Amino acid sequence: MKIVVCIKQVPGSNRVSFDPITHNLVREGMAGRMNPFDENAIEAAVRLREQVGGEVVLLSMGPDATKETLHDGMAMGADSAYLLSSRAFAGSDTLATGYILAQAIRKIGAIDLILFGRQAVDADTGQVGPIVATELDLPQATFAEKIQPLDAQHVVVNRDLGAVTQTVQLTLPAVITVRAEANQPRYESPVAIQQSLTKPLTTWTDQDLTLDASRIGQAGSPTIVRKVYAPEPTTRAAKPLPQDPKEAAKALLDILQAQGLL
Amino acid sequence: MITKDALWIVAEFEGTRIAPVTLQLLTKARAIANGRTVAAVLLETPAQTGEETLAQYGPDEIIVAQDEAFQNASDRTQAEQLTALIKANQPNTILFGATPEGRSLAPRVQDQLETGLTADCLDFYYEQDLLVAVKPSYGDNVMCEIVCPDRRPQMASVRPNTFAAKKATGAARIERVDATAAADSACVMQKTAVKIAATTSLSGARKIIALGRGANKDAVIEGVRKVADKLGASVGVSRPLTDRPDFTAEQQIGQSGVTVSPDLILNLGISGAVQYQVGMSSSKLVISVNRDSKAPIMVQSDYVWTGDAAALVAALQDLL
Ligand SMILES: Cc1cc2nc3c(=O)[nH]c(=O)nc-3n(C[C@H](O)[C@H](O)[C@H](O)COP(=O)(O)OP(=O)(O)OC[C@H]3O[C@@H](n4cnc5c(N)ncnc54)[C@H](O)[C@@H]3O)c2cc1C
Ligand SMILES: Nc1ncnc2c1ncn2[C@@H]1O[C@H](COP(=O)(O)O)[C@@H](O)[C@H]1O
Repeated sequence: MKIVVCIKQVPGSNRVSFDPITHNLVREGMAGRMNPFDENAIEAAVRLREQVGGEVVLLSMGPDATKETLHDGMAMGADSAYLLSSRAFAGSDTLATGYILAQAIRKIGAIDLILFGRQAVDADTGQVGPIVATELDLPQATFAEKIQPLDAQHVVVNRDLGAVTQTVQLTLPAVITVRAEANQPRYESPVAIQQSLTKPLTTWTDQDLTLDASRIGQAGSPTIVRKVYAPEPTTRAAKPLPQDPKEAAKALLDILQAQGLL
Repeated sequence: MITKDALWIVAEFEGTRIAPVTLQLLTKARAIANGRTVAAVLLETPAQTGEETLAQYGPDEIIVAQDEAFQNASDRTQAEQLTALIKANQPNTILFGATPEGRSLAPRVQDQLETGLTADCLDFYYEQDLLVAVKPSYGDNVMCEIVCPDRRPQMASVRPNTFAAKKATGAARIERVDATAAADSACVMQKTAVKIAATTSLSGARKIIALGRGANKDAVIEGVRKVADKLGASVGVSRPLTDRPDFTAEQQIGQSGVTVSPDLILNLGISGAVQYQVGMSSSKLVISVNRDSKAPIMVQSDYVWTGDAAALVAALQDLL
């Protein structure tokens, strides 16, 4: 089974603050790390390969520093990696990103399964997986908590959709997005890290792919982030209840009574 | 005739009933529509009759495609059906619930239309024709305003329980359309199960008692369950308490849990971290108990009591 896992490098921390003078976003812990859900996707891919054989190929679009994250993924057991890196890709929103990844997947070729994390923890959209599936006209199972290989053409996936769970049988090739509940990603052993340094990592620019220039980068991104700001903490009256617990409890019930909540 | 340039809400079923988020979106859409037609779009099987519920929340139109094919239809089938309807009727704006289902369908539709989609919004409004979608990022630590100036339709998914649903009068025109999407042989449903009885789920609760690390004692929890029973309240928790065997992630309030907007929330021993706060900030009446009068939760509350949560729970038990 030839599996592509799409992974994204995200900021090392979600702790962000605002520069009081410029009002610009200041990110702490600038070093990037792998999107945590993508670790689950790699783990799922490696386990499938352990069960039925094949290969696991990583794919990421991002700046040169993303190579580190791709090496981390190879240390988790992936066999090879592709980095899509070009100035022409800058400013891509989820639509443009999905299109570019889909074109790269076409070029890699002969893919059985494409795995994604459930969502990236920076913007929290979870859109890229379904967009790639649609670009390639493939079936999808999002929010997967279990993936079982059935035969050379099929996998069975349990989806957890919150209020309902589903078991679906997908005909390959197919797209799956993976929940954190699917598995416990393995630790990278020193040996695995050593081996990852010799695994093939290929960089492709926009020149290496067949791309419609109007669908990539800023031109291919219909959405614009026009403002970023710190959420305003809601403040309320904070009226104190009486200090004595019995009186406080009584006062609380009186409030509920008055508001028709009893 | 289906009205062009309308504001569409894609309706969703939760089990056999219409999902609460659909009704919440209808109410909010009516409030901001400013003369624009509000329509609910419903894909259902002949056994389902979601239009009756939808009509009670005041859409101008309900567009219904009824077909046996929607029984266990794949994401691809549903997205193709929606895309065909959108291409034929050119709505201005399309809103989905940011449920797992909505978040699976919306991007497929988006890609077929090559337009913009903003995920998991907490608010949205119009500036003339432009939809401004307000969404959190970086784990709810920042807010972003996102717009789609040049392409239509403009699309967004909206976090459940961010708005309250209110019934409304007015006659909805029902527009029946033919289902056109083919069944998907590459994605076959083998089994589907409703996980939680929708009525007992936290997200729809009108009264909630929420427990945090400061109330993490068996005796307090037992007392709270009794008080909750008497008050007809559901019990929710902050993240640390989901480590206990008696609570699951389904009961966690907050950014990575459920968003709630009950009439009453009573917070016991919760500090009020931003990730918790976003999950409950639209509650009507907020009462919080914390032994630290400076805990961030206090200024987010209508009434506060500074002291030991155990003592207040005991006093409530005595009175009820
Ligand atoms: C990406 C991300 C997502 C997250 N998502 C969520 C989420 O969805 N939901 C969530 O809840 N958290 C979430 N968190 C965690 C969140 O940041 C907080 O750590 C968490 O909400 C703290 O829970 P708490 O208030 O119960 O505990 P604490 O912060 O430890 O607060 C306990 C409070 O209890 C008070 N107290 C102690 N003893 C008593 C007593 N005897 N009587 C009265 N008061 C007492 C203390 O004064 C304190 O204020 C998330 C974090 C991250 C990074
Ligand atoms: N730039 C990228 N390169 C590779 N994969 C990506 C990229 N952005 C998103 N993904 C994949 O898409 C998933 C969902 O991301 P998002 O839609 O941004 O929340 C991630 O978990 C990754 O698997």
